[in-house]
Amino acid sequence: MRRTLLHIAVASILAAGVLPSVHAQRAQDQTPAKWTPARTPDGHPDMQGLWARRGAALTEANAPKTPLSEFGATGQPYPTVFNTGVSTPQAAAALANRPAGVIEPANRMLPWRPEADAARREFLSNMIPPASLKYVEASARCVPPGLLGGDDRHPYQIVQRPGSFVLMYEYNHVTRVVYTDGRPHVGPNIRLYMGDSIGKWEGDTLVVDTTNFNDKTSFSQAIPFHSDALHTTERFTMVDPYIIDYQLTIEDPKLFTAPIRIAGAFAAAAKGNEMLEFACAEGSQTLPNIFGFGEFPGQ
Amino acid sequence: MLKFLGFGLRTRVYEKRAGKQKRLYLCFAVKLACSGHKSYDGCHMNKRAVVLFAFWSFLLALPALAQAPARGIPRAADGKPDFNGLWQVLGTAAWDLEDHNGSLRMPAGQGVVEGGAIPYQASALPRKRENFQTRDINDPAEAACYMPGIPRATYMPFPFEIIQNPKLITMSYEFGHARRSIFTDGSPHPDGFPDFWMGDSRGRWEGDTLVVDVTNLDDRTWLDHAGNHHSDALHVVERYTMTDPDHILYEATLEDSKVFTRPWKISMPLYRRMEKNVRILEYECVQYIQEQKYGNAKPVGAK
Repeated sequence: MRRTLLHIAVASILAAGVLPSVHAQRAQDQTPAKWTPARTPDGHPDMQGLWARRGAALTEANAPKTPLSEFGATGQPYPTVFNTGVSTPQAAAALANRPAGVIEPANRMLPWRPEADAARREFLSNMIPPASLKYVEASARCVPPGLLGGDDRHPYQIVQRPGSFVLMYEYNHVTRVVYTDGRPHVGPNIRLYMGDSIGKWEGDTLVVDTTNFNDKTSFSQAIPFHSDALHTTERFTMVDPYIIDYQLTIEDPKLFTAPIRIAGAFAAAAKGNEMLEFACAEGSQTLPNIFGFGEFPGQ
Repeated sequence: MLKFLGFGLRTRVYEKRAGKQKRLYLCFAVKLACSGHKSYDGCHMNKRAVVLFAFWSFLLALPALAQAPARGIPRAADGKPDFNGLWQVLGTAAWDLEDHNGSLRMPAGQGVVEGGAIPYQASALPRKRENFQTRDINDPAEAACYMPGIPRATYMPFPFEIIQNPKLITMSYEFGHARRSIFTDGSPHPDGFPDFWMGDSRGRWEGDTLVVDVTNLDDRTWLDHAGNHHSDALHVVERYTMTDPDHILYEATLEDSKVFTRPWKISMPLYRRMEKNVRILEYECVQYIQEQKYGNAKPVGAK
């Protein structure tokens, strides 16, 4: 009975010629601006899941040629068993028209301090063959990757809890816990490969402030170090179910005279993927090969 | 309602301590409890009122008594015990799971093995003795900073953080920034996976106990610095039970048909790290060991 009434109601609306405006209304509802994210129990956008990071890199115009080939310091091709291809088709389509890499300065000429640029060029010239341990490419030494040294062929897992936002890299099994409970940074003498991160929500955007870096990670193959004065600000904003907009501002006054802004994205991984274990130092022959000794006897 | 009752009881205590000023709060609470009976004034109760008040208090308190122990454990949104936080083992299991005396850089300690001794097959004992003799250069975790494996990661003398959501429980260990994922989404161990340093962990809840089944463990990890060892047939079942808000009882049963004569069990408490502003820092021993080994060395072919 109720169903019949409903049919009659729908029929009357159709007869009255309301249908076109209903369609128009729906189309408006589907514009991206109207999309609202699912929420965690504490009311923030729910970004939890497995993601592929794309585009976030210090792309530098006129970067000096690095002596490292695409194979890095090991001279061996990377294995191909990694968790590649985790992106969904929707994410790939959404990524196509998004900004990626350095967006400020717009010409991608990085605001180097001349003495820092000279030190970087001197460093690069000592990498192959490496003059000493510190000139061996950071990833070949299994150095934790910092914010930009990660290998984006590996997925990232986001878990949110009341009071913290957790970003896990499959690459080198690094875990970043970003506290959003108002606690302060650790003391200034604590220096960390991954820095110390605290966050706050500005509306639906998570803003992450990271300090307390050491100077032992690299930005990229062409920028093989940064200083311990590094300070970063990251902004995570979910724009649709497939994309988290990612903005990174780098301030390193010992290297650059102005902040650098980078754009990238986290793209949703296809369902059914799990983070696997990435082992780096375990069983690695890289340094024994480079130095000609030091193989771990436990092999 | 229960909260209200708690309020009433709390004010009683305050009243004893603080005297008259708090008495008013108690009157207010009793009045609320007896609402509907106009004749009952909280501060001038007759015997019937007292009996009735006691009776209702008892009835209201019953469910609370039945559900929660004296100190309730924290619970996540899905009702499971909330293990989120930083935890650490005290004691000396990392050095030796069995009873041992003190020696240089090795604190004395009572064993954590149920029954006292690890039930090695005779053929596995020589390796244990050899490992012990050469532990300073051969212990994979201490000498090379390899991921410690399970269960050793739990009782390394470093904190670890539990990051819990309903389908995935992550344990992030400060030692070497090791980490493992415990999938609690009902998925089985995958077929055809290789061995992992930290194994493949699948968890389920038995009441309030998290039970984790760990397979695919790499045979190159040790169980402690004393050289206790296992093969790639090792199968570990861990049980995590919160005994109060700040302690978890950790139990692990180890089964390895190539090395032990029977399954055996260890257990120890995990203590919550409660310092203000405490968090997982970095113990990057891979880097420290490289520096020690190669810091002053020259690469082959260096200019």
